[in-house]
Amino acid sequence: MPRPVKLTLRAFHLFWRGMREWCGDAAYERYLHSSATRFGSHRVLTAKEFYVEQLNRRYSRPNRCC
Amino acid sequence: MTGNGLLKKLLKTFLWLAIAILGAAALGKIALQRGETLNAIWFVIAAACCYLVAFRIYSAFIAARVLTLDDSRATPAERHDDGRDFVPTNKWVLFGHHFAAIAGPGPLVGPTLAAQFGYLPGTLWLIVGAVLCGCVQDFIILFASIRRDGKSLGEMAREEVGPRGGLIAQLAVLIIMVILLAVVALVVVNALSSSPWATFTLAMTIPIALLLGLYLRFLRPGRVLEASLIGVALVLFVVVAGQWVSDSPSWSHVFTLTGVALAFAIIIYGFAASALPVWLLLAPRDYLSAFIKAGAIFSLAAGILLVRPHVLMPPLTRFVDGNGPVFAGKIFPFCFITIACGAISGFHSLISSGTTPKMILRESHARYIGYGAMLLESFVGVMAMVAACAMPPGVYFAINSPAGIVGASPGEAAATISSWGYPLTAQTMTNLAHAVGEHTLLNRAGGAPSLAVGMAQIFSSTIGGDRLLSIWYHFAIMFEALFILTVLDAGTRVGRFMVQELGGRVWKPFGRTGWMPGILLSSAIIVGLWGYFLYQGVVDPLGGINSLWPLFGIANQLLAAVALVVATTVLLKMGRKRWIWVTLAPMAWIVTITMTASFQKIFDSNPRIGFLANANLLTAQIAAGKVPLAKLADTQRLIFNQKLDAAVTALLALMVIVLIVEAIVQWYSILSSLRDPVLHESPYVATQWPPDFSGVAHGDN
Repeated sequence: MPRPVKLTLRAFHLFWRGMREWCGDAAYERYLHSSATRFGSHRVLTAKEFYVEQLNRRYSRPNRCC
Repeated sequence: MTGNGLLKKLLKTFLWLAIAILGAAALGKIALQRGETLNAIWFVIAAACCYLVAFRIYSAFIAARVLTLDDSRATPAERHDDGRDFVPTNKWVLFGHHFAAIAGPGPLVGPTLAAQFGYLPGTLWLIVGAVLCGCVQDFIILFASIRRDGKSLGEMAREEVGPRGGLIAQLAVLIIMVILLAVVALVVVNALSSSPWATFTLAMTIPIALLLGLYLRFLRPGRVLEASLIGVALVLFVVVAGQWVSDSPSWSHVFTLTGVALAFAIIIYGFAASALPVWLLLAPRDYLSAFIKAGAIFSLAAGILLVRPHVLMPPLTRFVDGNGPVFAGKIFPFCFITIACGAISGFHSLISSGTTPKMILRESHARYIGYGAMLLESFVGVMAMVAACAMPPGVYFAINSPAGIVGASPGEAAATISSWGYPLTAQTMTNLAHAVGEHTLLNRAGGAPSLAVGMAQIFSSTIGGDRLLSIWYHFAIMFEALFILTVLDAGTRVGRFMVQELGGRVWKPFGRTGWMPGILLSSAIIVGLWGYFLYQGVVDPLGGINSLWPLFGIANQLLAAVALVVATTVLLKMGRKRWIWVTLAPMAWIVTITMTASFQKIFDSNPRIGFLANANLLTAQIAAGKVPLAKLADTQRLIFNQKLDAAVTALLALMVIVLIVEAIVQWYSILSSLRDPVLHESPYVATQWPPDFSGVAHGDN
């Protein structure tokens, strides 16, 4: 594959991954790979459970400013 | 040093010198230009160069000398990594998170309102205030919270300053929340009032958010990106569809609402968003808002760079004398109070001691995220100032002045504003309203419509020309209203938790966040509190913004004073006496402007400034029989509201004075070695991460 195409694809890949991280799209994958989930004794939440639990926590403290 | 290394160093020095000289030249051009209009590109150059130099030199100095950031120390994200609250996050991703959290309507609305003094005072304070005050506050509070396992501002105030400090910070946050929610809701009401297009567009974002909520909860849990893209497409469609509604006599009638009707609609919405499950309405709306906010801010920056509009507002207007039609009061202290968030925002300290410190990967990232994100917010403020000042001053004053001052008809407004020396014809306002698809643009105090006109003119000069002016105007209104409502519903929910926490101290079951009667009652209390101030603003003959925005500014800046008191105490306890001016000087300045503003808002003899003078004037009018019987009850309510505003301002000022006195006692005992300072930092733990670990997910760095 030519180098400019490779670089462009890599830039897109990085941008997409950054966007997923920024907006919370990758939050569940993060949770699955966190050390507490991998090595902890708690039951691992399903994607649905994690989504609701995460929102409840996030919106119980100031998270949007004036 | 090798020859190559020396050459590189010299080149770098010259580059930074060139940036500094360019910035100084641009600032000089802005400050000294008289007689001719100024190109907006000078604002961009001045701001960008000042920010770059400040970041390169001042933030590096704070990081290295004042805070001595230590990358060998494990951050809370590493020590407590649970994939939920404590999540090690890439520096740039966290920068985006933090910026999205701190950037609200304040840096857009504040500079737009402060443009009544001319472009110069507001622009200078936006740049200087951010560099020396706002960024410093955000950076140091973020650092302090990282060193304390992500503790909140209230917890840090309690531990480092004293038990009263924690309670004061908690109460100050609740009061600022109430005032903030009322004032941002008032901005929305003034933007949507009698505008079927804008009201329809915003109303439709509610079913769109509900749809996304159901999609994300049941169909594709957590797939935020794809859901948001669908949502953004739908929102853009309803912006266009709003024109069809506006053109249809029957539908237009349905969505043409008065200020009072809109206020009640927003109050009901706030209650629903607070009491309904968060995944159904609040979170999906927040996702939509984040994407549209990022897109609109980026587009505005690109538009200003492409169009390079001329700034038509003079550097200083005649209203530096304190008799401005948008709000009353002189440059000192009211320009600073009005700009608020674009230069320094106390509310940021809640974000800097909330989610961000729990996600930061290394201590050195606090410089980019704490200091850097605030610089970007200040840049948003400068762009808002440019957008407001790029329209003819007469048009700006016609949109932002209340009917009680300029008159309600285009003819009256044009005559009054022209008599101030800012030429305006009634036809200009009628044509402009027609061009943006509105019945009228007069008396839309609050900043949102004038900013939308400014943005629409910049956007339409880039894409679509006059043909798309109305679409761009309503896109800008939707963008502002959407993320104002996001602040409103998220704030109401957090306020509900605060009310439940305070109430739980008196009656335990009330504190249970999952107990439905408690949820409903606490939601009703918090909505009732800000709803009251909102209603008061809507029916205020002077437009409401005149009273509420300064009150919000004072509350916000007093919270900044609280944060800077905490930061100063932390530095003293760390033994950084030599560098104490870094936080002490901004704190002294913020306390001076807020106390002066508080004093003037309460006691000034001008009824447009002083709450008590206005109450006395209205009382005298009743006593003299000048108030018609039909308006007697309204006037009595106005008198009560003015006294209430005075009491709230006094309470806020008093709380901060108590905190400062407590802090000074603490500082004195440290400086005179009467007491050994106890720093409540978490113990040092060495990081286990390799130096090149960037926080990229799933171990793929």
